[in-house]
Amino acid sequence: MVKITVNGRVVDADPTKPLIKACHDNDVDVPMYCYHPGLSPVGSCRICQVEVKQGEAPGRVVVACRTQPAEGMVVDTESPKAHATRRECLEFLLKNHPLDCPICDKAGECDLQDFTYEEGQAQGRSHEPRRPLEKRKSLGEVIVLDEERCILCSRCVRFFEEVPKKAQLTVSDLGSRSVISTFMDRPLSGNYQGNIADLCPVGALTLKKFRFQARVWNLVKMASTCVECSRGCSIQVETLRGSDVKRFRPRPNEQVNGWWMCDHGRFAFDHANAAGRLEGARMLEGTQLVQTPIEEALCAVRDALMGSKGGLVVLSPFCTVEEGRALRELAQRHQAEIAYVSPPPSALKDELLHTGDPCPNRRGLEELGIRGEAGETLTARLAAAKVGLIAGERVVELLGPERVRELPGTLALFAFECHPVASRALRAEVGIANHVERTGTVVNVDGIRGPLAAAKPAPRGVRALERHLQDLARLSPRRETAVR
Amino acid sequence: MVIVKRKELSLAEKLYLPEVLRGLSVTFRKMFEPKVTRQYPEEPLPKTEVTRGQPRLVVNEDDAIACVSCGLCEAACPAYAITIDGGETDRAIEREPKRFDIDMLRCILCGFCEEACPKDAIYMSDELELADYSREALIYDIEKLKRPKAALQKRIDYVNRINKRWQTPSST
Repeated sequence: MVKITVNGRVVDADPTKPLIKACHDNDVDVPMYCYHPGLSPVGSCRICQVEVKQGEAPGRVVVACRTQPAEGMVVDTESPKAHATRRECLEFLLKNHPLDCPICDKAGECDLQDFTYEEGQAQGRSHEPRRPLEKRKSLGEVIVLDEERCILCSRCVRFFEEVPKKAQLTVSDLGSRSVISTFMDRPLSGNYQGNIADLCPVGALTLKKFRFQARVWNLVKMASTCVECSRGCSIQVETLRGSDVKRFRPRPNEQVNGWWMCDHGRFAFDHANAAGRLEGARMLEGTQLVQTPIEEALCAVRDALMGSKGGLVVLSPFCTVEEGRALRELAQRHQAEIAYVSPPPSALKDELLHTGDPCPNRRGLEELGIRGEAGETLTARLAAAKVGLIAGERVVELLGPERVRELPGTLALFAFECHPVASRALRAEVGIANHVERTGTVVNVDGIRGPLAAAKPAPRGVRALERHLQDLARLSPRRETAVR
Repeated sequence: MVIVKRKELSLAEKLYLPEVLRGLSVTFRKMFEPKVTRQYPEEPLPKTEVTRGQPRLVVNEDDAIACVSCGLCEAACPAYAITIDGGETDRAIEREPKRFDIDMLRCILCGFCEEACPKDAIYMSDELELADYSREALIYDIEKLKRPKAALQKRIDYVNRINKRWQTPSST
């Protein structure tokens, strides 16, 4: 660590990291386009220029992302000289940047827009027309490139070189004709393409799935955790008008995912937005499932569990730690057995983030002493039991919808699910909130806890599983040991 | 206790007739003067270029809507009357509104949307009447809001003229 002075304040800086990091760590705002904390610095955009004095020499303007802090360095980010240099750079970057903020998806979270606004340069001095380039160039399944908007910061190029370690993009052609392109115009591949849309400091690379879906300032953002694999990447859930999840974006978290997330998790919001939810509670009356008050369905669950010794409680691996604990208590109270569904690993496993294990809270449930079993084993055990309780998001999907449908009528099956359950054994089902509608904690593969946030309200008449379990505990008589 | 002493009335006053005739003379005089009242629904209100009626969307000469659904009017609207969903189009402009609702019951005719619009796509028309049998019918959708540019030209010219007044020499 070395001591440097930033805007009159003496701070500690890591000499192995660029100067811009020391500035940002100490809440000094330095604009940046080509620099990204997760990538190697190249200093191509020149927008992070600051004035640096060392010793007796007069101040020089240097790029903060390619300068290493040295003992006694005096940095001034707001000096007239630094401002003038940055403004000139900005003018060059804006020389060919089209004025299409009204149609650009990045507008509102665009670094170029923000800094142009900050510098207050309302009018351009250029008289030449802007270079016309391709506006809608498809780069594979995920990404669409707008060549006109690109400021050639090469963040996307470096991302593919440094993070998935498989170069897929390059800056082709020379001078003012330079554009970003893939090698031989092949489409992009891999599970990490979506990240370059987040990386892009302007609106050049945008997601096909998010294209023109919403204005970013209308999105309500909540910090949450991805539940698509046991990595549990920190994400941001962004919803529009309290209803639809429009996108998942990675949230920087150096312990878990860095700045990235995989496309599998990024585009997994179809499940969160799925229609046809189970609302309220339904109970079997005769041969028909009829809508009943939730309380009645909970009483039916309690009565069935109390009447039997040796029921089976099956959890979804999507259950949070809190839900797992409540279900374990319920099982203990009624001397029932408990297990969670453990689906086989998926083929998406890679070295970077995806663990290939589709259970987001496997470790959390294991820590509670709940064991995982395959869907086949659990349905077989359910078929042999008298009373079964299946609880949690996607539990039917993981058990196998066919196998659940064919469970024998001798079993009294109760379900807490997001979607209606089809089964011959079903006695009652209660609707629960999914992972973007409830709070809780999941523990990832390395034992790091991640929060789930209620980013949008659950449909009418739908509550979180935890609430139902609290009510169920209230309705059940306490164990004798607990009375003392 | 206060004793109010009334005035003694003269004969003419006791008859009331002269006063009735005086009143009627006013009535008859006004009958032959020019009328100042307006038969409102049959006879429309006077409209000038300054009239700030309900907002309407401009449809250009090539039958394409000028709006690109940038959402600035939505953001500027102080009454939260506007809801926009964008979508992709094959036109060169790439983006157009798939849904553009203005809740006319919320709209306060302030004209902020007109001011915010970077594409000159929304203007305050001279349409002011607003009546229907349900609230839902007064949430105007994109088809109800579209107007050919020619119908709004008077207002467009007025706004352009006013805007010029604020322009600094360097920004022209």
